[in-house]
Amino acid sequence: MGRTDARRACLVGIGETRYAKWGGITDRSEYQLAVEAIVAAVADAGLSMDDVDGLASFADDRNEATFAAADLGLPELRYATMSWLPGGGGACAAIANAAMAVETGAADVVVVYRSLCQGQFHRFGQGPGGRAPKGPARVPGIRKARTLLDAHLAFTMPFGMFSPPIAYAMVLQRHMHLFGTTHEQMGEVAVTTRAHAARNPRAVMGGRAMTMDDYLGSRFVSEPFRLYDCCLETDGACAVVVTSHERALDLARTPVEVLGSAQGAPRGFGHGQYANVGMPDDDYTSAGARTVADRLWARSGLGPADIDVAEVYDHFTGLVLLSLEDFGFCARGEGGPYAASGALAWPDGALPMNTHGGSLSEAYIHGLNHVVEGVRQIRGDSTCQVEGAETCLVTSAAGVPTSALVLGRR
Amino acid sequence: MSERWFPDEMPVPGVNAETNGWWEAASRHRLVVQRCTACGATRHPPGPICPQCRSTASEWLDLRGTGTVFTFTVVRQAFIPSLAEQLPYVVIAVELDGAEGARIVSNLIDIEPCDVSIGMHVEVVWEDMGPQLAVPRFRATTDAKGARG
Repeated sequence: MGRTDARRACLVGIGETRYAKWGGITDRSEYQLAVEAIVAAVADAGLSMDDVDGLASFADDRNEATFAAADLGLPELRYATMSWLPGGGGACAAIANAAMAVETGAADVVVVYRSLCQGQFHRFGQGPGGRAPKGPARVPGIRKARTLLDAHLAFTMPFGMFSPPIAYAMVLQRHMHLFGTTHEQMGEVAVTTRAHAARNPRAVMGGRAMTMDDYLGSRFVSEPFRLYDCCLETDGACAVVVTSHERALDLARTPVEVLGSAQGAPRGFGHGQYANVGMPDDDYTSAGARTVADRLWARSGLGPADIDVAEVYDHFTGLVLLSLEDFGFCARGEGGPYAASGALAWPDGALPMNTHGGSLSEAYIHGLNHVVEGVRQIRGDSTCQVEGAETCLVTSAAGVPTSALVLGRR
Repeated sequence: MSERWFPDEMPVPGVNAETNGWWEAASRHRLVVQRCTACGATRHPPGPICPQCRSTASEWLDLRGTGTVFTFTVVRQAFIPSLAEQLPYVVIAVELDGAEGARIVSNLIDIEPCDVSIGMHVEVVWEDMGPQLAVPRFRATTDAKGARG
């Protein structure tokens, strides 16, 4: 990459607001939470807002960087990006974009942020019902598409594939058919990460223990997914400060380096299985992350065996299994048995995963909270700290074009 | 009007220049797939250029309307209120015969959820949702049970 050691990107600050179940935060707006998370992250880094010259986000963030730069009083905005990767696919890409800005000298201090209050806007899990127009009955017809995605979803929505759990349930149904993946194996992800959340005071579901019987007793949303296979819908925001290694050395915190990053999708993956069922079977029954994984390992010079702890995007339990396959922690089709082996459990598993509780049990901040937890692990102050962790894999959403990071210290 | 299986409140399709021809064919109960006239590759959903040879020339290939269930889900939550009465319903991905691997999302109707399986044979039935909107659904063919896999 031609970067000098002095300019290589480090994560030096993290900030979070309170996390609450959707509708739980009513005393401040989603946008105010965004700026509060940014302020908290900059303070955590030991920097001043006057040092910040870049902002980056993802997932069609409603909280535009232009307004945030003005409201936060940034002396000069030198860099502002939003990743094209859909939804939670872009969390790690937003960090990578910030890192590239720092490494090329386009900016010196970039804050990556995501604020998401499903209680103040639309609940993702509700489908179109939550925003159906009131009024007299209409005659069904066609209408002009608002976006390319809207035109693509015309081939799913009229068939009742309203919402991500329905689309991804179909992926897992085929994975079960091909490889014998079971409900109990998916349940292992839900139960294990709920146990991790019990130690995390920030976790929305921290006080709610879950057994395998609880999991198997939860209602079906869209088979094979039960309620407890699906992530939370929450209110909250978080942010991460990215700067150069040279600058990081002057700061109080242990700098966390970006040892590698990658983003993208295989040929023909489109918007992922949410909007397209036509990709090759081998990709359809994957997380869509194998090209990203190959590049990530090549760039970092590391492999799955070198990873001490992983924060894996978990909108649905089953897709965690597919991500573990794509990133090479187990063979294709073996994600279920790998999870059932106890590998993901802190502290004794081979790969303690989602030590904060993840989107299933901490909060759904589109996976930027997974980056925050990755920073905590490398600093050594997670509530489920992996002893001496030096490398952490962070992945973004499976089933859409996605991104990933290896964080660590050299 | 045909038999009805889904309520009026189902989302209506948003259509653009590339997809309009598909919905127009559907309104006349023609199940089609877009085919590149330069190299013959099919693609779905319809788009402006062939991902194989990058030709922008295309045509609508008429299909027989039969196919095989590639995967499915049984939906047990009413994401729109008027669906509550007809839960559960089945969403399928169908690999269409004669479409060179192209698949579409649809529904399997008139079937018990426990009888649905990957690999079963299905055929199209049309649901006229309104004067200009027909939506293809699928029903198991009589040989469906022999094809379970």
